[in-house]
Amino acid sequence: MLLSGTDSELQQTTSYKAVLPFYIFAAFSFLISCILLLLNTGIIQEHYFHPKTLAITHLMALGWGTMIILGASHQLLPVLIEGKLDSYPLAILSFIFAATGIPLLVISFYLFNTGLLMQAGAILINASVICFFLNVIASIEGSKKYNVHALFMAAASLWLFITTFFGLMLVFNFSRSWLPQNSIEYLSLHAHIGLAGWFLLMVLGVSTRLIPMFLISKYSNPGILWWIFGLVNTGLLSFIVLKTLQTSEEYYYGPFLLILAALLLFAGYCYQAYKERIRKHVDEQMKISLLSVGMLFLPLISLLIVIVFITEKSGSNIVLLYGFSIFFGWITAIILGMTFKTLPFIIWNKKYRTNADIKTPAPKDLFSEKLFNIMAILYLTGFFIFIAGITSLNDILLKSGAVSLLMSAIVYVWNVIKVVLHKTGK
Amino acid sequence: MEVLSNNDLYCTAALAGLYHVYDPEIGLNVVDLGLIYRIDFNESDKTIIVTMTLTTQFCPMGESITEGVLQSVSHAFKDYKVSLNLVFDPAWTSDRISEEGQEFLNR
Repeated sequence: MLLSGTDSELQQTTSYKAVLPFYIFAAFSFLISCILLLLNTGIIQEHYFHPKTLAITHLMALGWGTMIILGASHQLLPVLIEGKLDSYPLAILSFIFAATGIPLLVISFYLFNTGLLMQAGAILINASVICFFLNVIASIEGSKKYNVHALFMAAASLWLFITTFFGLMLVFNFSRSWLPQNSIEYLSLHAHIGLAGWFLLMVLGVSTRLIPMFLISKYSNPGILWWIFGLVNTGLLSFIVLKTLQTSEEYYYGPFLLILAALLLFAGYCYQAYKERIRKHVDEQMKISLLSVGMLFLPLISLLIVIVFITEKSGSNIVLLYGFSIFFGWITAIILGMTFKTLPFIIWNKKYRTNADIKTPAPKDLFSEKLFNIMAILYLTGFFIFIAGITSLNDILLKSGAVSLLMSAIVYVWNVIKVVLHKTGK
Repeated sequence: MEVLSNNDLYCTAALAGLYHVYDPEIGLNVVDLGLIYRIDFNESDKTIIVTMTLTTQFCPMGESITEGVLQSVSHAFKDYKVSLNLVFDPAWTSDRISEEGQEFLNR
């Protein structure tokens, strides 16, 4: 007879219902973003404050990057804070608000309808973020484990709220002009709070926990993580102060160097974890995730060029290169890899958690490794061809790159559906 | 990695089954992974307590692993009540992986 003595001690992991909808929404957002990119390659020649550029950027930032991070966070938060997720209903509410708000916002940007549609979208997104933020804080408070990873998550969630609330103010500023300047003047501030505060902090906090965990590495150095946390936050805060005071462009090298220092420490941390790993075989999903660490430096190089070009009031395509290398480069690379390190486990847990036996497939058998490799090749090819297209302003290269990216998105969605629809052989 | 027990003979029988319980992510069995700390047998009330850990607290695979351990030991000792004592002190470290486990991970 089975007597489980674990129920009271082994805290349950987050239900797949609080995670899967985010993954599915994100997968289709990536697909639609790639379709829109292919249909609108001409925007590369335009100013970055272009309705279609704003639509694609927000679909990539919110529908793709943020949705998958929100979903994964509900699953990984317990691992990071060593406590359970506080509220399942808040996680579901967060999804419902985001899944209705994001399409409204993206469509209104695409059509440049700055009225009710855009305002409703922005409000719903803020409601979603508030639900998520409250859930993170309550979960950390409940666990009573205030480690550095928990702090990364809390700070990143707060910055996300600041970003979306600022975005909401910009949306209302379109029709009411109640901010001192035009919304376009605040775009850089809004974008960088989101990029450094939300994406960068969250990815750094989660990666420094997951990469050593998946590699079974002996390496751990919380001291460096505190430094990374301090450098990113100081860099971002100093950027906000400089922007608010409207100082001259050369001062921006300060925050740039702080973030660069944080990234160098992060790259060093990942390298040490890789070097001291016990598991020698590194799978393809980890390889592309590790590659994304290197891909972080491409936006930094373009940012450096942007700072120089801003001084000369030119180089709009380099600004787009900066944005593209962040959303279609770094963020996409890490998501493509980490999707297949997390999603198969969520489905595996749902199907086999209590009835695993020797014939049970391993989580990695739930997706096609072959499709993953095809996706990775198409993605990297498309990414670099598109980069060449941006720098040379060559539409054939842009179109070819976009086609390859779209094909990689199709293969990605196919593989995600394969995992989600996995049926047990019993 | 040594597994402590108050009955070496029974412990060997329990471990034989536990060598077939795997961490789904790592692909290594729970014994070579060093997750099993001790197995105590109580003849008088026919109970078995397996003291074990997980590689990380709130491990997403935790429930599957502990369920596998319970099923395996219960299968080997059908007349006993089996329960788990899940502990995180001492926490698992990679030093607990056996030589065989290290070899497996080196492949």
